[in-house]
Amino acid sequence: MIIYDEIMYWLVLIFAESHPYSDWIRGILGGLVIGAVFGGALVMVYLERKFLGDIQSRIGPNRVGGRYGVLQLIADAIKLFTKEDIIPANADKWLFIGAPIVALTSGFLMVAVLPFDYLLINGSYYAVNVTRMDISILYLEAVSGLAVFAIFMAGWGSGSKYSMLGGFRNIAKMIGYEIPLGISIISVAIMAQSLDIVEIVEAQDFLWNIIIHPLAFIVFGICLIADVGRIPFDQTESEEEIIAGWATEYSGMRWGLAFFAEYLHAVVGSFMVALIFLGGWNGLPIVGNLYIPGIFWLIIKTIMVIMFFIWTRAALPRYRIDQVVDLGWKCLLPLSLLCLVWSTIIGLVFG
Amino acid sequence: MINLEIIPFMIVSLIMIISSILVVKAKDVVHCAFACVVSMLSVAGFYVLLNAQFMAVVQILVYVGGIGVMILFAVMLTGRGQEVE
Repeated sequence: MIIYDEIMYWLVLIFAESHPYSDWIRGILGGLVIGAVFGGALVMVYLERKFLGDIQSRIGPNRVGGRYGVLQLIADAIKLFTKEDIIPANADKWLFIGAPIVALTSGFLMVAVLPFDYLLINGSYYAVNVTRMDISILYLEAVSGLAVFAIFMAGWGSGSKYSMLGGFRNIAKMIGYEIPLGISIISVAIMAQSLDIVEIVEAQDFLWNIIIHPLAFIVFGICLIADVGRIPFDQTESEEEIIAGWATEYSGMRWGLAFFAEYLHAVVGSFMVALIFLGGWNGLPIVGNLYIPGIFWLIIKTIMVIMFFIWTRAALPRYRIDQVVDLGWKCLLPLSLLCLVWSTIIGLVFG
Repeated sequence: MINLEIIPFMIVSLIMIISSILVVKAKDVVHCAFACVVSMLSVAGFYVLLNAQFMAVVQILVYVGGIGVMILFAVMLTGRGQEVE
């Protein structure tokens, strides 16, 4: 028990921010978290290939690393690293090189405010996250918007017609989808009466937001899939029409980084859904945690959201770009305004 | 002893000055637009240095996420290779 007390003492020092090296320790925690999210993105790629294989009655990766193809991703990474790094003669070099960097930066900046668990130390609660911000949910929204620039840079910088079409489509789509995404997040924040993602999770300890506010969940989910650019909304890189869109000219590890940034975005997005709508580290509604640590609940929920993403990819066809823009402006924007009204009513009646 | 806060301030101001010059001087109109976005982002950096996080986030949301995207949206309709050699 002495070791346990010692650990608790250190945790108090770190998360209560009274320790002189608190910033450094939080920095190390940030590095660990980035590694963990990287690992999560790898797991997502593997899960996606296996699960898609199951849905489409295929086997999926089954050669490298035993019967289940566990090492397939490592083989893919080696393949990407050894490929030739081609920059097209027609390309705008700075934008072409900068695009994967901006994409990854956007993903990593989002990780900085994600809370993972809530520790009860000496009778008071401390959130485990790298940075505690009062406005973390606005920050997440703002930083995730930077990924639009990455795709535009890639599309414009490649100097190819297909890439440019992909970049244009992305901007046309994102202008329509960032607004309902923001409004649905804000309507949840109104119910919790805070822009802090930790307090939004705390407010769900009895009932999840998906039960109180299902409409916002639907709007947020659709906008998030569009934001990440997964299949019902992946017109920016549709293989059949514009040959992988903005990623046409990329090869080798540059393509790998851009692709990986997309998966990172998807993993962080699933974390956001689990935190904002599925109760985060709180266990089941009403019943509570059932003596399982909160971080396991969070990871289980995140994996379920990721599986949902993969399932939508397998089950739904791709829409046309004009249908997508129509859906954003004519359907999701009014629905998100309705969300705002609904949360205001709930706030007035029960608040 | 010098104040250590001057170091990030110098870095952010350097980025801001260079990108602001590029907004006027760059040859390609898309480069101008991206330099404009970078200079707006460095204004957000200044707000963070002044401990005004809300202003910084709103700066990113409104100027970078809104106005920057609108500038690019306008630029994308102008077409490429039309500038005089």
